[in-house]
Amino acid sequence: MSDVRDRNESAWLLTKDGSRMQHGLREDMRRFDDTDEVDAVIIGAGAGGGTMTQRLARLGWKIVTFDAGPFWVPEADWVSDEAGSHNLYWTEPRQIGGGDPVPLGSNNSGRGVGGSMVHYAGYTPRFHPSDFRTMTLDGVGADWPIAYPDLKPYYELIEGELPVSGEHWPWGDPHDYPYRPQPVGGNGELFLRGALAAGIEAHVGPVAISNGRFGNRPHCIYRGFCLQGCKVNAKASPLITHIPDALAHGAEIRPDSMVTRIGIDELTGRATGVHYIRDGLERFQRARTVIVAGYSIETPRLLLNSTSARFPNGLANDFDQVGRYLMVQGAPQTAGRFEAEVRMFKAPPPEVSSEQFYETDPHKPYKRGFSIQTVSPLPITWAEHVMAQGRWGGEFRDYMSDYVHWACLGALCEFLPQPDNRVTLADEKDRHGMPVAHFSYTRCDNDRQLMSAATEVMERILKAAGADEVMTINRNAHLVGGARMAADEQHGVVDRDCRSFAVPNLMITDGSVLPTQGSANPALTIMAVAARAADRLIDRPID
Amino acid sequence: MTRAVRFPGFNVRSQSDHWDDATRAVIVGRVNALPAVRFFTPAEEAAAKCLLDQLVDQRTEPGSPRVDLVRMVDARLAEKQTDGWRYDTMPPDGAAWQQTLAALDEDSQRDHGVGFARCTWEEQHAMLEAFRDADDPNWHGLPRSQVWNLWTRYAATAFYSHPELWNEIGFSGPAYPRGYKNLGIDRLESYEVHDAEPGDDPMAGGTE
Repeated sequence: MSDVRDRNESAWLLTKDGSRMQHGLREDMRRFDDTDEVDAVIIGAGAGGGTMTQRLARLGWKIVTFDAGPFWVPEADWVSDEAGSHNLYWTEPRQIGGGDPVPLGSNNSGRGVGGSMVHYAGYTPRFHPSDFRTMTLDGVGADWPIAYPDLKPYYELIEGELPVSGEHWPWGDPHDYPYRPQPVGGNGELFLRGALAAGIEAHVGPVAISNGRFGNRPHCIYRGFCLQGCKVNAKASPLITHIPDALAHGAEIRPDSMVTRIGIDELTGRATGVHYIRDGLERFQRARTVIVAGYSIETPRLLLNSTSARFPNGLANDFDQVGRYLMVQGAPQTAGRFEAEVRMFKAPPPEVSSEQFYETDPHKPYKRGFSIQTVSPLPITWAEHVMAQGRWGGEFRDYMSDYVHWACLGALCEFLPQPDNRVTLADEKDRHGMPVAHFSYTRCDNDRQLMSAATEVMERILKAAGADEVMTINRNAHLVGGARMAADEQHGVVDRDCRSFAVPNLMITDGSVLPTQGSANPALTIMAVAARAADRLIDRPID
Repeated sequence: MTRAVRFPGFNVRSQSDHWDDATRAVIVGRVNALPAVRFFTPAEEAAAKCLLDQLVDQRTEPGSPRVDLVRMVDARLAEKQTDGWRYDTMPPDGAAWQQTLAALDEDSQRDHGVGFARCTWEEQHAMLEAFRDADDPNWHGLPRSQVWNLWTRYAATAFYSHPELWNEIGFSGPAYPRGYKNLGIDRLESYEVHDAEPGDDPMAGGTE
């Protein structure tokens, strides 16, 4: 563990009780002027931007990292309450459409320092080696310009920094985790029991909650509100895993600042800095390098809105690649009813998962696969589940009163990247006059087949565990893609090192660069991609 | 119809001394300090109240919990606290609520000669049942399923944010900083209460 502290001291920069950053770290943070030409501005302080901030600050770069939302103080700002956690989500106006519109907000979009990892469940699986070559192996999706071995060392580093707990992981590239698995609650217990009875392999983990203290971060208290922001500071997010160390190395975090456009020098074609709005005023921060990490909706929106004579269709969009190949995972949820009381709200929702069905099965009509995990919705999310079944009125209320008897599993199905699943700018404007994002999504046949297959397996597990009834709703989870990495500029926006093809000093280091998504929750991979991009700046500096 | 009490004596709020300050403030505010209606017109307020109560089967009976759903939804719309998305085939949430409540009143005038709020509970229920069962994918120029999604999403979020309803479903509410000590099947904390009607499976109960 001491080697973690040597390269990322964040967990030791909290107060001894782990409740907040040490005195002075935030208050005395270095602050730059708009007229200072900093080494880099980073837009977005989530999984990709937070990691990048810490890595570049350690390299001695002068960094300003913007976030549209607040710089959270968990003890004061977050609550142990579902409806009261609404401010963790990106709730600015956005439009959704297409054949299978994908709800945003609480489902997949964060706002504030820490990004969506503030309210993600905490699952941090690696991608499998096959994920990087799906076109070659399976004739679907895309091949990445990097391969699994390029990311493996960064997976190992980040797993140490979060840190991740779990059993030995037998799937993909088999590996171990730095911390032993967490104890499980009723939902995890039933998943393990059902999987065993159905002949399906399942394991506890991988979850970014250390089993025990980590630095000054306390032990998990199993209160079940992981998706509402971890007040305990037991669950990892960049707010506590990377930002403290970045501050200690001289980075500035500039919260409540919405970046609206990236500046371009029309003569050189280089990025010059960012236009942003703070306290109602438009400002411009100069920078030698601009690094975008706004995630799959806001990153394309920002690029598309950054028009100039050189880039009339949006920055780095010469080949109409920006906003395209955006993916969500199909995430059907199947619940099972048990005579016993499951009380799935006790213990973290992320407990147990199976990747047995992750890879292409040559005996099936579809390509690629899915993973299965415990999900444990709290009452409001559960009510949406029951209402999505068409229940309302007295019947709905009767179902709800039965809440403690239900266990709930969720699948992540690898939906395939398609060019028309994309972000564009709508005619509608936000309060700053910036066009809002329109996100269009339509599933393909393979996507639908995966959802049915995953549902069938989840029903099998729950029935094998003793459920007398099951019910399933179809939903989506996560976002990746929208500004993908590729071998050349006709197939993507950035290269293998996250540098844009079109602008030499413009990088993108967030989930939008992922060309495929596997059946894995994306946070760990986004951080690993960012950590690698930062390292590549040492070997291959920007000219 | 009176609903059986499944968790007799269970009272989430009796544990509020164990909640953190920020959480307690949010929940107390939700229960005791809702702002007055300011977004809806009186006519919209009347229709919205009846619609929301119907969706979650909230009747005015002595002793049963009363959640002021219309003020909770009104506050969200006044503050533009959306879910962070809307269908491109629907107006923004505030306008969508106004438009659909007017349409509901229009249907009610046509069928019963009075606004939705003036109908009996049974008439309101039948109108919503008919709304659900209709084959026409459009309703007053809007996609029927998306209208239903809007109504139920706001209703469910408001209703199950209220501690009275946590008592009804056996949910233990805020759990910070104390956390849980007894994880696992059929295991309770000292203040939790077992379901008195564990065989009351709604699917087996013939409510279909």
